[in-house]
Amino acid sequence: MSSGTGPTLAHRSVASIRSAPILQEPGAPHTPPRTISNTYGSPATIRADDDFLIIQIGSRFVRAGFAGDNQPKAVLTCGPKDQRRAGDFRDWQPAGDVDLQSGDKDYELWRYDLREVDLGLVYDKLDRLLRDAFGRCLLIDSRPRRAGLVLDSGVPIPILSTVLDLLFKGFQTPMISLMSSATMSVVAGGIRSGLVIDMGWAETVVTSVYEYREVKCTRSIRGGRYLNHQLYKLLHKILTDKEEEEEGARVISFAECEDIMCRLMWCRPPASKSPQAQKPAQRQSQQLDTVEEQDESEPEPEQSLQNSVASIPLRSINPPRTIEVPFDKIADVCDDTFFDLSIAHSAFDDEDFPVHLLIYRHLLQLPMDVRAVCMPRIIFTGGCSNILGIKGRIMEEVTSMVKRKGWANVSGKHVEESRNSQFSDRRASIARSVSSTATASDLGEEQESSRPSSIASQSDIADPIEAKVARHRPQISQMQGEFRTLHSLGPWAGASLVSQLKIPAMATVDRELWLQQGAYGASRPNEIDVKAQQRQSMGAGGFIRGSGGHHTNWTLGAWGNV
Amino acid sequence: MSPSTPYTYIQCPCSDQTVSGPGGALSDPEENEAFDPKAPRSNYSLYPLEYLLYCEDCQQIRCPRCVTEESVTYYCPNCLFEVPSSNLRSEGNRCTRSCYQCPVCIGPLQVGAIQPTTDANLLPTQYQTNPTGGPYALFCQYCNWTSTEISIEFDRPSGIYNQLSKVNNGGQPKLTLRDVKDRRKDNPDEPPVPDDQVDADLQFANLKAFYQQQLSESNTSIRGLPLHDGLGFSSPAALTRIMSLYTGRGHQGRLQQGPADIMREALGTNDGLKIANLDESKDIKKLIDGGWGVTASLEQRSEQPTEPARFEDELRPIAYLLRSKRSKRCPSCRHIISKPEAKVVSTRFKIRLVAKSYIPTITIRPLNPTATPVPVTYRPMVQEETPLKPHQAYHFVVTFKNPLFDNIKVTLASPPKTPGRFSSRVTVLCPQFEVDANTDMWDDALKDDEKDRSRKADEGPEVGKIWEKGRNWVSIVLEVIPASLRIDQLEKKGNDNIDTSPLKKGEDLLEIPMFVRMEWESETQADMDGPPSKDKETREKRELAYWCVLGVGRISHE
Repeated sequence: MSSGTGPTLAHRSVASIRSAPILQEPGAPHTPPRTISNTYGSPATIRADDDFLIIQIGSRFVRAGFAGDNQPKAVLTCGPKDQRRAGDFRDWQPAGDVDLQSGDKDYELWRYDLREVDLGLVYDKLDRLLRDAFGRCLLIDSRPRRAGLVLDSGVPIPILSTVLDLLFKGFQTPMISLMSSATMSVVAGGIRSGLVIDMGWAETVVTSVYEYREVKCTRSIRGGRYLNHQLYKLLHKILTDKEEEEEGARVISFAECEDIMCRLMWCRPPASKSPQAQKPAQRQSQQLDTVEEQDESEPEPEQSLQNSVASIPLRSINPPRTIEVPFDKIADVCDDTFFDLSIAHSAFDDEDFPVHLLIYRHLLQLPMDVRAVCMPRIIFTGGCSNILGIKGRIMEEVTSMVKRKGWANVSGKHVEESRNSQFSDRRASIARSVSSTATASDLGEEQESSRPSSIASQSDIADPIEAKVARHRPQISQMQGEFRTLHSLGPWAGASLVSQLKIPAMATVDRELWLQQGAYGASRPNEIDVKAQQRQSMGAGGFIRGSGGHHTNWTLGAWGNV
Repeated sequence: MSPSTPYTYIQCPCSDQTVSGPGGALSDPEENEAFDPKAPRSNYSLYPLEYLLYCEDCQQIRCPRCVTEESVTYYCPNCLFEVPSSNLRSEGNRCTRSCYQCPVCIGPLQVGAIQPTTDANLLPTQYQTNPTGGPYALFCQYCNWTSTEISIEFDRPSGIYNQLSKVNNGGQPKLTLRDVKDRRKDNPDEPPVPDDQVDADLQFANLKAFYQQQLSESNTSIRGLPLHDGLGFSSPAALTRIMSLYTGRGHQGRLQQGPADIMREALGTNDGLKIANLDESKDIKKLIDGGWGVTASLEQRSEQPTEPARFEDELRPIAYLLRSKRSKRCPSCRHIISKPEAKVVSTRFKIRLVAKSYIPTITIRPLNPTATPVPVTYRPMVQEETPLKPHQAYHFVVTFKNPLFDNIKVTLASPPKTPGRFSSRVTVLCPQFEVDANTDMWDDALKDDEKDRSRKADEGPEVGKIWEKGRNWVSIVLEVIPASLRIDQLEKKGNDNIDTSPLKKGEDLLEIPMFVRMEWESETQADMDGPPSKDKETREKRELAYWCVLGVGRISHE
């Protein structure tokens, strides 16, 4: 797909020559973008070079597909059923026994804690998954293809090195581009900077991306695994009337518990539980307004919802039975996992902050400029962000927190008191300044940030004609300092876009160099000549063959070095 | 871990190379310790003999992991239509005719006319022959799901793929980029499409168009750089950009000369920007009102090729995934070792070098079977052997059948104690023997086999002697003393802590790793199919060695 920008027929090398006219009228004459086409290469390049594979590896799922598609062709997971020997057909046998022993670990590809990970096993699992994806879903043969690898930037180097080993040795990939999933989510949202909240299986990761670069990354273990465990505890209690004990077989199988989680998990709107959430004085983002409207217009159904009960047919217990679980209890599980409002903020450990607190603290620690840019560009990705109502709830919690505390990293009774007394004065003063777009939450800082810009523009638009022209020009102003949530197509789609547009990735690893040097060959990211790297990866088609003997520096990008 | 014992698995030698791969810390199993069939990794390297191929030139076993594949044909498993490979790239990996699977039960769907309610009393034939037909829908023959449940009906009974790709669930037409563009052309002042109508396809198309436009407009000198990690500040363009960030020129300054320095971010729906829908109260209401029944299960969701559906009415019929026939090559010498016929309906192979015709078939059975033989009429049924009692000697007959036209010398090695927590004692009574060549089949019948019969009447197996012998097969006896499965009886080895966790799944299965080494003499540059007596002088010695696993049976819990 890399051979052309044309949306269709990209597999034909002829089409790539004609792709230039698609581009719309340029603003000024300039050198047209060069399409590096395989046509000018040697005839031998007319092979499988034109498909570029995008592989995203998470702790539960592997997504694979071709660059240029809007969704992966294969989304595969690796349960205990997929880890059996070849020729084991127990799955297809009637009345297969229920697997009550395997837990989280058997369903995961890898973990962040490398003490619990057998790298060889990770290699084997991934090998089998990718072979299945390529052979069954993508229907490609085993000729070498370039690949883009989308990974969380927190993936430890041993895991990364295992994955690269597998792709280079097992699949003969000539070149791999490494892309970080947070940046790719931002690309797939159409923006340059943003706050990516990846609510994944192992962790909830908040990453702020500024101008396509990751600025800061904070994590919390409150993710899918935690949620599933909480739900299991609830079901265990309902089924046996006992608290869960550590050892022993499970009451219901992991798969069934996960199924229940995916089907029934929902999150309460904030108004019903947190009475202290005051009526917000001014709301600017439209989507939050709609939440409010909903709550006001249907208070009665809200009440009836609270009492309704879900009947869940369980099949993994003997004998199968149907249990009744109130929806309220399920929402409690969700609340406890992601918000945990009953506990004081200071009681949390560094690794298990509830999500809204994690986001708030993350924003708080960001430089002011970055924070102002990230606030209106919040992106939710990851499996747990599909829980009904959770996005709205998180945003509501964060907004109310900002409203209460502002951006001050101090808390306590006294601070609270003094803040309340100042609050009204300050707000009045802000309301007076017309030019400021900052919300009350941003208080002084935001005001300061807007001041220099207004001064600068004043001096610039001293010319009255210029001012007139400026008034009629469409205003392209960056939204700053207020909350807005955007929808992103997800990291995989972002990587697919980036690869199709031939934008060089953060780091590219060449097969020859990797096989020679391994992970130890990677230099520090700042030791590298950016331009040289860029030139190589731009002309990727030719680079594959030409590079072998050259000694070039390469990096693992955001994944660091050994 | 196969359900029915006894069985034999073979470890492909290729897995030795991957073992020492990542990290290099893992040791080579052949050097240090015996292969452990219970280790989680061994599930990935063990294959039944039928799954293995053999490369004649490299004289090596080839498993599905160590071959390179090439596609021969692509076809739809439902309509058996052969899809040209060029279509595959443009139309995707699914059948684009009318082959669909039920989203609820994955049964095949059939197109049928929707029965008008007034015709309920008529005979079925009458509305089927109705020439006007229509409207049509997809019907599942297994679970009675129909596409009318998601309000999708078709005008024509053919070309379902094209019709379906234009409709969303609920009957609304699907918006595409072209529709939006046409609409904008007709009516330029129309506001952009509301966000809830923008699906993933449209957003992706918008984004792609946006990025392409931006890349062509923005300054070529720093084009592409933004995504780079180590952005240099050396270029003047980058410096101006940084300056403009802090002076505010970027926002409302004077008209920029020439193209923009950087590509801007998406600003509206047409650029691919989509505001997330945070108000999901409608869906919550639906979930709570409908309960378990309205939601789609995890399996149903994972079958969906498009974005995951939450509710059952969001499921769409699944177009059949195409399949491919593949030829296989040896990765080191590039020789084809398996090549199917290109025709879709044919199941034959042009070339197929299966390992079964190059390495001995190993079968194992108890010497004194406890299970009664299953009568032919009940054949699919398998009679399980009774579980093995701990601390009691059992004898098993292991038969090696030689497929080669040369005599082979077999050497067996097996660890005296099986690896794992519960290690049973294993003794191979005759670890070295020779198996005769696979000569004419009639030799066997003509041979006087009285001798062998008489041996059976003997008292029992004898150390160092073959148990039974035929034309091209030899049986030996294996003595096994199963270990006790009781946790409290685990022996302490050295200073290691004993793992006292409860019995894991599959741990009661007694599996014996065995290293098989075979040696034989054959002609150089093997021409296996040719006449065997070409040139007697050029015979060379060959050998092949691999691990195999003999699944003996279950140890009884007591």
